[in-house]
Amino acid sequence: MLKWCILGSILFFSVINSYAQKSDTLSGFGNEVVVTATKTERRLSNVAVPVSIISQKKIQQAGSLRLNDILQEQTGIYLTSGFGTGVQMQGLSPDYTLILIDGEPLVGRTAGVLDLNRITVGNIKQIEIVKGPSSSLYGSEAMAGVINIITDKPNKTTLKASARYGSYNTSDLNLSGSFRKNKLAYQGFVNGYATDGFSIRPNSVERSIAPIKRFTMQHNLNYYFSPKTNASFNFRTNDEKIINIISVTNNGLVTTSNGVEKNKDYNTTFQLAHRFNSHLKNTSRIYGTQYESTQNLLTSNGVPYTDYFKQQFGRIENQTDYTINDVIELNAGVGYTIETANSSRYDKTESTKKNQIGYAFLQSEWRPLPQLTLIAGARFDNNELYAAAFSPKLAMQYKVSKSFHLKASIGRGFKAPDFRQLYLNFTNAAAGGYSVFGTVEAQKIITQLNSIGQIASLENDFYKLGELKPEFSTGINIGGSFKPNNELDLTFNFFRNNIENLIDSRLVAYRTGGSQIFSYLNLKNAFTQGIETDIHYKVFNSFNVNAGYQFLLTGDKDEIKRIEDGKVYTRDANGFSRLMQRNEYVGLPNRSKHMANLKLQYEKNSAFANIRLIYRSKWVVTDTDGNGLFNSNDAFAKGFVQINTAVGKTFAKTLSLQIGVNNLLDYSDVSNLPNMPGRNFYTTIAYQFTQKNKK
Amino acid sequence: MKKGIIMIGLIISLASCSKQTDNTAAINTPVSSVTVNNFAADTIIGLTAQGIPYGAGKYSFYSVENNKTVASSDSATTKWDVGFRGTSIILNGGNSGPGLGAGFVYVGLYNNLNTIPADSTFKVDNAPSSYAITAGSNRGWYVYDAINNLISPIPGRVLVIRTATGKYAKVEILNYYKGGVTPAASASDAIKLTEQRYYTFRFTYQPNGTKNF
Repeated sequence: MLKWCILGSILFFSVINSYAQKSDTLSGFGNEVVVTATKTERRLSNVAVPVSIISQKKIQQAGSLRLNDILQEQTGIYLTSGFGTGVQMQGLSPDYTLILIDGEPLVGRTAGVLDLNRITVGNIKQIEIVKGPSSSLYGSEAMAGVINIITDKPNKTTLKASARYGSYNTSDLNLSGSFRKNKLAYQGFVNGYATDGFSIRPNSVERSIAPIKRFTMQHNLNYYFSPKTNASFNFRTNDEKIINIISVTNNGLVTTSNGVEKNKDYNTTFQLAHRFNSHLKNTSRIYGTQYESTQNLLTSNGVPYTDYFKQQFGRIENQTDYTINDVIELNAGVGYTIETANSSRYDKTESTKKNQIGYAFLQSEWRPLPQLTLIAGARFDNNELYAAAFSPKLAMQYKVSKSFHLKASIGRGFKAPDFRQLYLNFTNAAAGGYSVFGTVEAQKIITQLNSIGQIASLENDFYKLGELKPEFSTGINIGGSFKPNNELDLTFNFFRNNIENLIDSRLVAYRTGGSQIFSYLNLKNAFTQGIETDIHYKVFNSFNVNAGYQFLLTGDKDEIKRIEDGKVYTRDANGFSRLMQRNEYVGLPNRSKHMANLKLQYEKNSAFANIRLIYRSKWVVTDTDGNGLFNSNDAFAKGFVQINTAVGKTFAKTLSLQIGVNNLLDYSDVSNLPNMPGRNFYTTIAYQFTQKNKK
Repeated sequence: MKKGIIMIGLIISLASCSKQTDNTAAINTPVSSVTVNNFAADTIIGLTAQGIPYGAGKYSFYSVENNKTVASSDSATTKWDVGFRGTSIILNGGNSGPGLGAGFVYVGLYNNLNTIPADSTFKVDNAPSSYAITAGSNRGWYVYDAINNLISPIPGRVLVIRTATGKYAKVEILNYYKGGVTPAASASDAIKLTEQRYYTFRFTYQPNGTKNF
């Protein structure tokens, strides 16, 4: 029975790695199991790339509701606002982090941002965060890293319910249960979330966070044909209904629109895994997902407005894990992806945009010495719509001693041009009539407009329009972990990402009448680099301290060259132009040089209390000196500290109560942190029905 | 006594942009750089039903030769050298005026521009399709931040101009807002609208006809 349970608990990528589980005399620490880093199960202590894990317990004790709540408290992660809440990792924008649920990607990004609010944490077993390029395994989008959400899997008969209520009339209800009978296991989960939202803008009818209702459910069914073969079926859906009151101010003229935005996610996975023998295992997966977003608005002047977007993604993948001997293991996979999109912002909503990708990856792990692990991997993605991408990766781990491990890796990551960058056909009638066209559309439309005399002038960038190339990065990570005793645990990582071919929008033409037309080009070369470190110190058995810090530098290489060539100017106190110095350059906007967190956690006799501090240093927001790049003479948002705290107790192992306060200091910044509410309170009650596991 | 002079000086500099220079003394040496403050250039008087701001639609003229404002009734004369209306800047030549006005936007520092490069091309206005001082955001002298609805003069841009009478001057636009201070990005639209179209600029005029400053 126990064997069954273990098998059931590791369903996705369910690769029982006999080799990794053999006696590991040097492991010392990090016995949690991760799958994201290598697409196979590995103990955290054996992974050669920077990985961190957030456990279910940590999520619960932090009182998190949505994925962004818990991620904002992690070292080196900053959450961006605008088009939802996105994740900035190693200084890269939200576009470049792949978000997976049980190993399968979520789709439906707006302006590159996948809104983390779409994901409830109610059924998350653990969150795995891999930093640095991981395209060698995952393909597009895994440039800054991968966040993989591992959901609860059926392992015994359980039934849990929880309810939470807090400020802004925010309520959250969860119900989850699982059972096993003979060869069948089922896990079900439902979550309902509702909030009135809030407004921190003093003079606007528009709320910072609009009233939202969300409903998520997930079902997971497993069938064990034999100890060697199992099949699983997973279905998840998320519905969002957002009440929109949108106020657009154009030169002082306020137009208010009222309406509803509905977003829907479906995710379905079918998986069949078979272990031929202790050396060979094969897993086949079919995955389908759809994201559909509809916004219906009626403006105050009576004009209706509809925005529609639908993205579908289907994939079939087969992965083989072959353990040749105690020293070498191979993982190989092939797959095929088909992706479609429809949008009212493309030429016609009915015309379906499509891309197909065939890919293959191979990874080999070689352990020439007990203390040395080497990994080499590569993936090839052959795309229908844009140039192919080859993503190699090398990683090593060396266990200097039981208490000191070193890791180093170098890899390539890429992000494919998205449908928006290829097909957008959008004209904003409200704000001066500017247009943005995707590259496939731009040349066609502008040439056509030109032939009927509607183009006043073509800019230089128009002639550079062509086939968009994927954005590439080369990431280097060098770090290690040090655990001299049971009380202290320290990890550190130096990173550098060189990013090429960054896609950005540029003015390509003027219409007669002066309206601007923009399109996308592969333009920029940028870098991000920094140091990240985490320290865990167990003061007593019941009292733990965690501290994390990230130092970050970013820059655009072409901007730096222009500065060094003496071609960039700023203004002195009199407003007179002067040369800008290299040391005044700040780099990419909306990034803080210093970010830190401190967590104090007390836990004893099924009661806990914690206090969590998050610090972010100032960040540049507006190019006020007009020189086109960000420097110390521009406008910055102030650095700030946010403090969250929670206490809780469990009675008779079944009933749990928790109360918490977020943003204890009531910090807010109307312009730069519109999504951050003031001080807010909540209380949670959870009940775990008694479990009776039949032997 | 000293205090009194400072006070008077302050009043003069606050009250007007026309700190008069002695023209006779300046015949053979370029005047030193003069800063003009709060030069109103067709300030906004209303919004159309579509929310588009408008002014009276008239250019405000300036004579760099005489360092003073010129009435709009003198638009058909050679009394003015530069005209401002919103972000549009015209020179007294081509189809903008009867003078010899022409110019171009030089990239570099005002103080380093001691001689107008010999290979420079002076353009004349051919409204509305082209202007000597190129119109448009990020093309000539300014950049428009569409997110925050603010206009900033691009640092390191010098307007090199030939005056109505064929002399040369260099002009640097320092600010586009009242009091020479750009409103904060978070300022209200009302402030951004009412305080714009007030130029702060400095210029150096060479009365001897050479291209040296």
